Amino acid sequence: MTLIECRGLTREYRKGDNIIRPLDDLDLDVPRGDFLALMGPSGSGKTTLLNLIAGIDSPTRGSLVIDGTNLANLSRNKLAAWRSENVGYVFQLYNLVPVLTAYENVELPLLLHPLDRRQRHERVRTALERVGISDRSDHFPRQLSGGQEQRVAIARAIVTDPAILVADEPTGDLDKPSAHAVMSLLKELNEELGKTIIMVTHDPKTTDWATRTLHLDKGRLAETGASLTHEQEALA
Amino acid sequence: MRVRQLPFNYAFRNLGRSGVRLAASLVGSSLVVLLILASGGFVRGMQLTLTQDAGMQDNVMILGAGSEEGVERSQIDASVDGIAAASIPGLKERAGVIYASPEIHAALPVRESAESDEDLSSVMRGVREVALLVHPEVEIVEGHLPRAGRDELMLGELAATRLGLPEDRVAIGQTLYFDDRDWTIVGRFSAPNTVMNAEIWLPLTDLQIATNREASLSCVIVTLDRATFADADLFAKSRLDLELTAIRESDYYASIAAFYGPIRIMIIVTAVLIASGGVLGGLNTMYAAFAARVREVGMLQALGFTRLAIVMNLTEESVFAAACGALIGATLGLVLLDGVAVRFSMGAFALAIDAPVLLAGILGGLVVGFIGAIPPAVRCLRLPITEALKSH
Repeated sequence: MTLIECRGLTREYRKGDNIIRPLDDLDLDVPRGDFLALMGPSGSGKTTLLNLIAGIDSPTRGSLVIDGTNLANLSRNKLAAWRSENVGYVFQLYNLVPVLTAYENVELPLLLHPLDRRQRHERVRTALERVGISDRSDHFPRQLSGGQEQRVAIARAIVTDPAILVADEPTGDLDKPSAHAVMSLLKELNEELGKTIIMVTHDPKTTDWATRTLHLDKGRLAETGASLTHEQEALA
Repeated sequence: MRVRQLPFNYAFRNLGRSGVRLAASLVGSSLVVLLILASGGFVRGMQLTLTQDAGMQDNVMILGAGSEEGVERSQIDASVDGIAAASIPGLKERAGVIYASPEIHAALPVRESAESDEDLSSVMRGVREVALLVHPEVEIVEGHLPRAGRDELMLGELAATRLGLPEDRVAIGQTLYFDDRDWTIVGRFSAPNTVMNAEIWLPLTDLQIATNREASLSCVIVTLDRATFADADLFAKSRLDLELTAIRESDYYASIAAFYGPIRIMIIVTAVLIASGGVLGGLNTMYAAFAARVREVGMLQALGFTRLAIVMNLTEESVFAAACGALIGATLGLVLLDGVAVRFSMGAFALAIDAPVLLAGILGGLVVGFIGAIPPAVRCLRLPITEALKSH
């Protein structure tokens, strides 16, 4: 069952007199529960695609329908509300708020939901336990290792129980053991909780954790030289 | 649509990110508040002193025609007090004493001693005992009324400031020199928020002799009871031979206050200009504070917080810092400025940091915090989320 449907998805930027097109007329289907790795050289459009799916950027042309909602039609505030309910974002540099504890960082997205303090506490506790960092809930980010910070960031991404997790090079700043632990955690979330994960990576080893890998080049899918829909993939 | 806000805790803790920036915010807003309190206290103190209301409303000054703008220039016959007391029906009276105070007002130089060659500027008032009835604001707080013929003086609380002398130099028992002899200070009086508080009082006859005007007065001040101002005015106008004019004491000082209006406006304008400098300083501090947080702000937007929620939180942070600075400034203002005596040509007055001035100061500090936050916050949010997330 398709969760994400891109048709003719194009993103253009104007830089002086030039138009840059990091994503060019892309067609793509992502089924619910997929763990999709996006690879490609710098400037290939993988992060642009990730940002569009995360709802933090808007396409110049084409449609991007996620679970029946065409993101291109949403106003800025509605898109913000949509993000808070449907997407968890895992950043390469964690992006934890340094003045908040691990617990408070994980609680942040829940403040956007109509939950009372007790309900929030329950969800934060569950998320921290899920990522195996509940014993560090009172620690500030500076008191955590990189791997622990990324675990907190993943807890923050899943605490609202979104259907989609987007991860932008989630292991790019970690040593090997920490990277392995983070990828293992993402795989668990994919298999046990059924989260659909879209991950951008430069590291071919991390793609082993994904169910499939797509290569982008110059804004297009590289394998076929054109875009690839789920149906086309199935036929192939 | 209800805006889901970021917790205040986040704004509060962000203040601790940079001690230098926090100190700059606190110092900036407390200085702005101090400045507003100083200028407001100055204007308010002068206003209170010159627009005396309590006892003045019922008092009418009878002085020489054409001297309405300066009682020191007035010269009326020495018998006017008796004539006025007998001619104006309905003046206040107690135990057979009619409230009609003959007075001489003179700006005279005094010296510390015969050996001193420095003239000290002073305002003297020659009075009789009845002056204490007509001016109920005056309360003798130490010593007694000066007695006629004994070269005695009584000084108001702010007289030392007016003279430019330390307080212990005008204590009871000390002497001041004028009219070729020493005068002993035998009393201190308090007349808060009036020009009298900076004056030197002495017996009327002594000042008449010292100023060579034995047959004249500066004015007679009467207190109305059943009589109205029209009665006193009619008396002044009907005695053409005495060349008198009547003016309410409150109106007399109000006209002097109007004279100082441009000075007050200048002080307020200066305060506003310097406070604007405080706003610019606040802007600078907040630009630096928010610029270091662009990526974090991008992350908050990625989570789903709206720009409005983030602007509100950043503003809370700035206003909270400004509020802390304002409290520090207000406390310093109350401790350091309230009651400080300032000299001016009419005598001296005390800076008055009262509730309206305090409120204006604290509000000023908060406004600085608010205005200082909005442009940096908006600038911080101008970047697209994708760009903000890439910043370092």
